[in-house]
Amino acid sequence: MKIKYFVVFMLVLILALGACAPAAEAPVDEQPVGDGSDDPCAADDFGCAVIQPGQTIKIGMSSPMTGPYADFGIDAQNSGLIAVADAGQVEGFSFELVAEDDEGGAEGGAAVANKLVADQTFVALAGPLFSGATAAAMPIYEAAGIPMMSPSATAGFLTLEGSRVFNRLPFVDPIQAAAAADFMFNNLGVRNIAVLHDGEDYGRGLATSVKDEFEALGGTVSAFEGITPGEADYTPILSTIATQSPEVVYFGGYNQEGAVITNQMKAVGLEDAVFFGCDGTWGADYLAQTGANGEGSIHANTRAPEESDVKAAFDAAYLSAYGVGPVVLSPFSYNSYDAVTILTNAVKSVAFLDADGNLNIPRGALVSEVRGTSGFVGIGSYSCDAIGECNVEGPAFEMIVNGEWVVLD
Amino acid sequence: MIATKKENFLLKLRGSGTIIRYILGILAGGYLLWRLYRVFIVQSAFGLETWTRLLIAGLVIGSVYALIAIGYTLVYGVLFMINFAHGEVMMLGSFAGFFVLEATRAMEVNGPGGVATSFSNAYPGLAILLAFVAGMSFSALVGFYLEKIAYRPLRKAPRLIPLISAIGASFALQNAALLLFSPQTRTYQNPDILTRGQGWRLMINDSAVILPYTGVFTMVLSIILMVGLILLVKRTRLGKSMRAVAMDKDTAALMGIDVNKTISNTFIISGILAGSAGVMWGLHNGLLHYFVGFLPGIKAFTAAVLGGIGNIPGAMLGGMVLGLLEALGPAALDISFQLKDVIAFVIMIVILIFKPSGLLGEVLSEEKV
Repeated sequence: MKIKYFVVFMLVLILALGACAPAAEAPVDEQPVGDGSDDPCAADDFGCAVIQPGQTIKIGMSSPMTGPYADFGIDAQNSGLIAVADAGQVEGFSFELVAEDDEGGAEGGAAVANKLVADQTFVALAGPLFSGATAAAMPIYEAAGIPMMSPSATAGFLTLEGSRVFNRLPFVDPIQAAAAADFMFNNLGVRNIAVLHDGEDYGRGLATSVKDEFEALGGTVSAFEGITPGEADYTPILSTIATQSPEVVYFGGYNQEGAVITNQMKAVGLEDAVFFGCDGTWGADYLAQTGANGEGSIHANTRAPEESDVKAAFDAAYLSAYGVGPVVLSPFSYNSYDAVTILTNAVKSVAFLDADGNLNIPRGALVSEVRGTSGFVGIGSYSCDAIGECNVEGPAFEMIVNGEWVVLD
Repeated sequence: MIATKKENFLLKLRGSGTIIRYILGILAGGYLLWRLYRVFIVQSAFGLETWTRLLIAGLVIGSVYALIAIGYTLVYGVLFMINFAHGEVMMLGSFAGFFVLEATRAMEVNGPGGVATSFSNAYPGLAILLAFVAGMSFSALVGFYLEKIAYRPLRKAPRLIPLISAIGASFALQNAALLLFSPQTRTYQNPDILTRGQGWRLMINDSAVILPYTGVFTMVLSIILMVGLILLVKRTRLGKSMRAVAMDKDTAALMGIDVNKTISNTFIISGILAGSAGVMWGLHNGLLHYFVGFLPGIKAFTAAVLGGIGNIPGAMLGGMVLGLLEALGPAALDISFQLKDVIAFVIMIVILIFKPSGLLGEVLSEEKV
């Protein structure tokens, strides 16, 4: 008997909901009646994002904000918030930065992408920060027509897969690897190096390229090994590498492991070898964790932008808002600011008001607009090419001297 | 009739399973020996100095594993459950020690000779002692309440339920630490006499092998703690009641032993060991964040199983063996270090094939299992 009542109750409930639904949907159904041919929304591949009055235009960000790489994500969010504030309004609508935590990994990247694209007012993504997260998330943004502008995802293959939506600002790993190999061979004059990586997309890709480039120059790579990220003791692997007496230990990976390796090199017979890091082992975290052991180690970093009014204003805003200067937590503060600014500029140039006072943003046009970025001058200057590479400058190499980063040339 | 046939079939199956198991075990063992022969005799890639370095690394990490593994084994001994939150107990102890060292580092005192210096450098022994006291007592407290909140209400529930509760507790503690201490990676501030990477220099084959102070400190302290624990279990009333509860809870209760109190004490003791392991981990490796307990926790659990779960000397041996396998295995077998966990676990499987109850484990009675 009870089951019967339950079934009747459910039926009534379903009917009631069914009756309500059309009434609730009615206002949404009233699409502006256009000619079809000159309605940019109907002609657009992905349709329009419709922002109603009172809503904001959402710019997403996908970065690690917890865990060992949290500094990168927090820095990107800090910079992005300033960029969004500087962007002002478009037709009375303001921008909002939605920074989500992807922990830097593939699972997180895909989860954040699915969460963001479910929001109709989300139009563009400044990120993801890390290559692993980017590779996993790209198809989801591609399907939804969300233009991406990553401040820091550098794995070479990301732009080679024919993505319409993915663009990036940093120098790419193959360029960094070639520059690093050249720097070691010609500037430092070393001939025997050991190459380590953390086994992730970014680190392994970079390390493999460095090995190939260094061998092509005529040097010897006496050890090429992967480590397990997240561990606190790498002395066994470093001990075996020490038997080859390399002059440089190159590491492709991130701060946490890089710092552990730097600290432990002194204890296993590698005290004369130089730790050579990448732009993933750059920042305040590395300095704090290595202290005296980090002295003399060399790392890649984005070339410092030239002094300008935009940079001065950003530096001041960052310092007053967060109590530290930009490019302390991670090397990508300026890139993050520029990535968000490029996206908001693109939104401004494609958005238009419809008859109801809603802001329409044709998604396909926005994707093309971001890819077509040309002669952008923010803190840095960028022009994107046909596959979405917006910067072809190589890295600068910096050495830690007395706890400070000193540019080498 | 039918039942007997079925039983016969099962028996036969079990018999053939044993044979297959032994064949696999012998094949795997033979392969490992062949690799060893190639590395040591054919290539002889590494000199004595390298092996010494690897041995030191293995012993240090092994003694930390051993301390944590004892916690798993103690709890298993009295409750027959795996306390998966044990790694997090260690992490919290590590944080407590970190804050003490941070505070003593920041405190300005007039050191010997009237020179202003930090408390931790003027009285390093006292600072380290304080850090250990803080780490041990905080972990003991966490262990005590963990049992009260997450396990005691489920004492009578089926065996899988407290296991799920333990996994939940592990997540809860991890995320509590994330919220309390932020996700940033912290660096342990050692007093100068225990600076990481510094140590005694041994000259082997004209090459300096450093025996790090923190490593020796870790090994010596773990041995002292383990000896203390064995004395506690063997010689004291508390130890006697723990052994009694481990044998049979109901009978122990009939003999006038307060079972709840004994179980609480067991968690306190395992917390103390985990807390000291956490502080040692911090002093030796320097790294600390909310997730730092996870990996050592899993490894130590493995070590406890390897040694024979429920057996205290077994956990110590298992921890040492696992640490040495991880450090020496890849080099000895000439396999990439990225696969060190694979190597350690394969060797563990080989050992368990021949000795399913673990290195020192006794065959458990039906009732205990």
